[in-house]
Amino acid sequence: MNKELEHSFVIQLEKNQNIVHKICRLYTNDQDSHNDLFQEITIQLWRAFPKFRGDSKFSTWMYRVALNTAITLYRKSKRQISTQDFESISFKIKAEEYDDTIEQQLKLMYGAVKKLNDIDKALVFLYLEDKSYREISETLGITEVNARVKMNRAKDKLRKILNP
Amino acid sequence: MDELDKLKKEWQSREHELPKISYNDIYKMLLKKSSSIVKWIFIISVAELLFWLSLYLIIPDDNIKLMHDMGIGNILYYSNILHFIVFAVFIYFFYKNYQSIQVTDSTKMLMQNILKTRKTVRYFVYYNVGMFILSSIVIDTFFYTNSSKLYKVMDFASKGVPQENFANVFVITQILVGVVVIGLLLLFYWLVYGILLKRLKSNYSELQKMES
Repeated sequence: MNKELEHSFVIQLEKNQNIVHKICRLYTNDQDSHNDLFQEITIQLWRAFPKFRGDSKFSTWMYRVALNTAITLYRKSKRQISTQDFESISFKIKAEEYDDTIEQQLKLMYGAVKKLNDIDKALVFLYLEDKSYREISETLGITEVNARVKMNRAKDKLRKILNP
Repeated sequence: MDELDKLKKEWQSREHELPKISYNDIYKMLLKKSSSIVKWIFIISVAELLFWLSLYLIIPDDNIKLMHDMGIGNILYYSNILHFIVFAVFIYFFYKNYQSIQVTDSTKMLMQNILKTRKTVRYFVYYNVGMFILSSIVIDTFFYTNSSKLYKVMDFASKGVPQENFANVFVITQILVGVVVIGLLLLFYWLVYGILLKRLKSNYSELQKMES
């Protein structure tokens, strides 16, 4: 691969790395696994990069490759979420800006999202990323109607996790 | 759902809290090796071929001589070659699957392709276990029906082994060893391929449920 291609890829990934970090946080439970998954996603993105034609935005293309890697290609460890891990990697809310109740609610919601299965997690992640149902359906390979139905079911599941 | 929408709002505004990886560190990652499931299936199958091949090469000469003395040396030799050719064909399929899997496909399509690999793996396991059972049955039957020749070839008389019941004891021992080996073989496949692909299968059925 030529240097120019490498440079252009690294620049774009550096700029859009937040997407990968957010996926790593959702799909792993500790820092080592986070780093492993980040690396695997980077490798998969790089391998697929020569075929990226720029028909879509780099970030849109990244969602697909990164989620596919997290859901299907990555061999994650089956380690349980420990309290310490959860505290260290969960969505950090600044206490001074929010009252305790909201902070608690958000933490619980993030924890509930992490408990969903891989596919539901991907749906909710794309929803949180403010993606349209069309984009969600294209990324996952299902119809738009099914993406909506599945999203509603995922919301039901979240409700059940939060109010058992 | 209120809480989810609150989280969505926070989600967007908290990006600055995410870790930052430098240009140089990303650059270094490009040189690292992938450890994807499909790649592992391919590597394990090649390693397995090498393992069986090396096992074949270290078979003691006595054993080979015994087969020749029993008159089945050539048949075994050619069937082994055939066996390794089939093995190589499987490895070619694994490699083709590995190459055809595109991470840029939709999630469903990607899973479908990986599950195709899973099917190849399943056939590979069926073939291996099936061949082992079949060859054990054929060889054990052959030994059983030619037990007096075997008794002579192995020179059991000079070792003081009585000829009565010799055939039964010999074949039962062979069968017991065979069962243990098949058990180990199944355990190996279950551990290696089963665990590698279990999560993927449950993800795929989740996606299928979406369509129902």
